[in-house]
Amino acid sequence: MCRTGGVPDPAGDEASTHAAFTALLEDSAEDLYESAPCGFLSTMMDGTIAKINHTLLDWLGLDRRAVIGRMRFTDLLTVGGRLYHETHFAPLLRMQGELRGIALEMKRRGGGRLPVLVSAVIKHGVGGEPLLIRITVLDASDRRAYEEELLRRRQEAERSRAEAERARAEADEARRQAEADRARLADALAVLQRSLVPDSLPAVPGLETAVYYHAASPDQLGGDFYDLFPVAGDRWAFFLGDVCGKGPEAASLTSLTRYTLRAAAHHDPDPAAALATLNAVLHERYTAGGNPRYCTCVFGIVEPGRGQGPTTVRLASGGHPPALVLRADGRAEFLPTPGGMLVGVLPGAPIGTAQTVLADGDTIVLYTDGLTEARTGPGRDDLFGEDALRAFAAEHAPAAPHEVITALTGLLKRFGDGLGDDTALLALGAPATPSPAHPARTS
Amino acid sequence: MNPLRITHRETPAGPLLRLSGDLDFDQAPELRRQVDQLDLRPGQCLVVDVSGLEFCDSSGITAFLTARQRALEARADVALSAVPANLLRVLTLVGLDRVFTLLPAGGDPARPTGQDTR
Repeated sequence: MCRTGGVPDPAGDEASTHAAFTALLEDSAEDLYESAPCGFLSTMMDGTIAKINHTLLDWLGLDRRAVIGRMRFTDLLTVGGRLYHETHFAPLLRMQGELRGIALEMKRRGGGRLPVLVSAVIKHGVGGEPLLIRITVLDASDRRAYEEELLRRRQEAERSRAEAERARAEADEARRQAEADRARLADALAVLQRSLVPDSLPAVPGLETAVYYHAASPDQLGGDFYDLFPVAGDRWAFFLGDVCGKGPEAASLTSLTRYTLRAAAHHDPDPAAALATLNAVLHERYTAGGNPRYCTCVFGIVEPGRGQGPTTVRLASGGHPPALVLRADGRAEFLPTPGGMLVGVLPGAPIGTAQTVLADGDTIVLYTDGLTEARTGPGRDDLFGEDALRAFAAEHAPAAPHEVITALTGLLKRFGDGLGDDTALLALGAPATPSPAHPARTS
Repeated sequence: MNPLRITHRETPAGPLLRLSGDLDFDQAPELRRQVDQLDLRPGQCLVVDVSGLEFCDSSGITAFLTARQRALEARADVALSAVPANLLRVLTLVGLDRVFTLLPAGGDPARPTGQDTR
């Protein structure tokens, strides 16, 4: 094997490169110890610091001479760190001989704190006796900041979630409260509504009756009213009407109207007298005070024949649409009460009256103008009207009260949205007596 | 809903209010407010021209009655002018055609229609 000057010896080259790297990287083990990017210290078994590197002194801002032989490892720690050292670090180290990655806080000069991760190992002598403790200290500032940030965010998230849950609980409670309030209000409205119109009509000997009430709005008290009750003798009083306005004010007017008429009828069972009393009461209570309130009303007295004679009906009306009579012979006619006026507007307002006899199978129907004013077309003037009502009645005559009410109820349903107002229907009829004397008609 | 418009003009006979739109539950209070502001003197006649009304319910009729009450307190009269057929039907049904003086369109308060021959 011959050497040629220009070609280096590979083995010699490797060695020189290694030496060059060694020289470049670490001048000496001592320099590595002093300037490593982590702290080193060694203590006696009682904690007295025997050796400490420059890096750690620099971090803590301490002078070597003040440390070596004068301070213990725990003197470098914060109060919290010292506590943790006493309770966990030192006992564990004694037991295990080493520890890794324990988080502690060290004091910096000037009062700052340095979060660190500490590893420690006990160096033993040849006889196994502990000689000293070697400690490595890593700066954990960044990691601690990151962990604190994580912790802070988790706490924030938990706080947000707690707040959201509290808000939801409050909303649930508010909704429960609102539902309870609404239920209570609905109960109160139902009680009030029953004070305005009776739940059911009493049974009248010798008379068939039927009634229907359509409330335009389920949560509003109705502005229409009706009633049927006995007065002196074999006579029965009935009325049906419509107060102006809507809502609670209309309801209070309805209530006043109903009980005024009931009281008046017992005092003087003349229909016109009852309405005159109501007119005086409403005028005194409202209109005279500059707050005109009024109603339209038909008041009647019926005396059932009960096979002994004709069933007679006497009516009085104040500004109310005329009653409709479906005769047993198939005719349908209005029973006009001309001259009547809104009740409550004028002192001594005129009252229209009428009377008729109900033959067996005749039925008289009272209604409020929700029926005749129901819209049947796109225009506001496209109303059902009285002519159409009479034609409808003629198609169904003769009819017992419950048949008329059933037919009219179907009609109201067919109006759909065109039925914009409350509507009350009350029908009274002399029972048809199917017998050879009254054979069924054929049309 | 058509908005209610009210124009006010003074005439030798008294104030003239011209209404158009809907006189309903929501808007009737406006007529009442305007009537309250009128300076009505004894012997005058408040004329309410309702020819432009497209709708009038019981709240509107209440407003007319309130205006009438107000006029009576001032010892003045009140008249409805140019009443549309539908409103006239309702007024007649409830008997108020005999409470209000009814005037033809542009009519003179001194010559109510109720006294005209047909």
